[in-house]
Amino acid sequence: MKILAIDTALQAVSACVVDDEDLDFETRETIAMERGHAEALLPLIDRVMAQVEGGFSELGRVAVTVGPGSFTGLRVGLAAARAIGLACEIPVVGVSTLAALAAPLIIHQNPGPVAVAIDARHGNVYFAAFESDGRALVTPRIASAREAAEALRQEERRRETTQLVGSGAALVAIEAEKLGLAVEATAESFVPDIIFVARLGLLGDPDLAPPRPLYLKAADARPQSGSVLAEAAP
Amino acid sequence: MRVLGIETTCDETAAAVVQLNPGGAGEILSNEVMSQIAEHAAYGGVVPEIAARAHIEVLDRLVARALYDAKVKLADLDGIAAAAGPGLIGGVIVGLTTAKALALASRKPFIAVNHLEAHALTARLTDGVEFPYLLLLVSGGHTQLVAVKGVGDYLRLGSTVDDAVGEAFDKVAKMLGLPYPGGPEVERMAAKGDPTRFDFPRPMQGRAKPDFSLSGLKTAVRLAAQRIHSPSQTDVADLCASFQAAIVDMMIDRSRAGLRLFRERIGDCNAMVVAGGVGANGAIRRALSRFCGESGLRLILPPPQLCTDNGAMIAWAGIERLSLGLVDDMTFAARPRWPLDSNAEAAHHGKA
Repeated sequence: MKILAIDTALQAVSACVVDDEDLDFETRETIAMERGHAEALLPLIDRVMAQVEGGFSELGRVAVTVGPGSFTGLRVGLAAARAIGLACEIPVVGVSTLAALAAPLIIHQNPGPVAVAIDARHGNVYFAAFESDGRALVTPRIASAREAAEALRQEERRRETTQLVGSGAALVAIEAEKLGLAVEATAESFVPDIIFVARLGLLGDPDLAPPRPLYLKAADARPQSGSVLAEAAP
Repeated sequence: MRVLGIETTCDETAAAVVQLNPGGAGEILSNEVMSQIAEHAAYGGVVPEIAARAHIEVLDRLVARALYDAKVKLADLDGIAAAAGPGLIGGVIVGLTTAKALALASRKPFIAVNHLEAHALTARLTDGVEFPYLLLLVSGGHTQLVAVKGVGDYLRLGSTVDDAVGEAFDKVAKMLGLPYPGGPEVERMAAKGDPTRFDFPRPMQGRAKPDFSLSGLKTAVRLAAQRIHSPSQTDVADLCASFQAAIVDMMIDRSRAGLRLFRERIGDCNAMVVAGGVGANGAIRRALSRFCGESGLRLILPPPQLCTDNGAMIAWAGIERLSLGLVDDMTFAARPRWPLDSNAEAAHHGKA
């Protein structure tokens, strides 16, 4: 089965097609960018799909990163993925950016927990940690770097070095060292490797991992205050 | 010819399929709208991020339902259209990206539609009116008088220099403690009130250029409301009635100036067309109908569900553009500001 994977949640626009039977087949493209994901994505998907003989009709599934990340960015990927799923009548599965960032370390690196921190600005990070076998250690959350480090300490049972990855890794590493935790911030890419989004998408169950946004943060709005009449009243 | 239209520029998520029948008449095969009013009510207005979140949540299912209701498949369509602006960028991106991806994956032409143009062309879907005609576009986001000369050919005669009319209704409702959205609430209260009790200003009265202004009127209502010590229901009703009377007078005076300018600059006018949510206000509809009767002008008031934001108007604008061979490519960027008339001077307040 061929799967199309899409990621626009962080500082890149990526898409790839992989085949879980023909392991040699792979077509991918990634462009690093801070903004402009909405304009770049569809032309990029067009180029990637042009490499696939038979085009969209060959796809059996779509995978898409659901966040956490840029609110607008993740909606771009989700809108495209869900529309392609609708047009091709194929399932769409959501992949967390935190899991996608952790996956290469979990698969390739030496044993030990993997923590992912994505810079959420104002000293906060989107944070999750995984056991070396991929099971969740700290569930996805938004937290200050300090709170993230403390969550990590609570789960620290063995004296194993925790690998830290993502754009917020350095922030959390500083706090973790203050707490005396053994951590190592890995100089990996700050954006998911799109091939791992595809692989996680092949493993995921569309019913259990629906393509719905994982914002981890409420919209910034406050309910309205009273009317001028209320203010004018004694 | 059949086109799917997607609308996500403000607080309605909408999808529709419209068919162009031989002879040139449009037929709405389906028209799905999901309003987000409940999501925004607590905030007294549309919150952009909440709107964008609501659009992505439902849009693909709404498209599926529009296709199902129209008894067509994507393969049966001739094009896919989406409103690409003007509007709230977060929502526009959801609709635009969805339409582009549907078009790419089903190898159909993609048409980026100006939301205002879709409002402007609705009268050709409902009543088959010929160009040129005078459009009065009045909604929560837009207030303008436009000469519609052809598809893509517009002359903006005048527009608001500050707030939109619908926005003024919402703000007055908010200051009087009425629920959101305020337009229908103000109208309901106004029906029980005395429109002559407060002498509110008629902004722009008598000016030759058919522009609108709402902020002075809004302030006048605020000041009058604050002067009343713990206002009764009657006071609120009188404030609403007097405010609405001022709005109606201004709309008629501005429409008269707009028609005069239309006849000067363009010539004969085939009709006056009303679009936008404020077109659902009964007092305004009655006044416009009186005005058009006196001016010997055909008045076209599309049904309320086609006055407010909807997918059918986007699909129809897509049909009009596709018929002229106007299609867009996958790089088309959302345009949060997108004046109908590209020659019109930029509004200094940034509202179209």
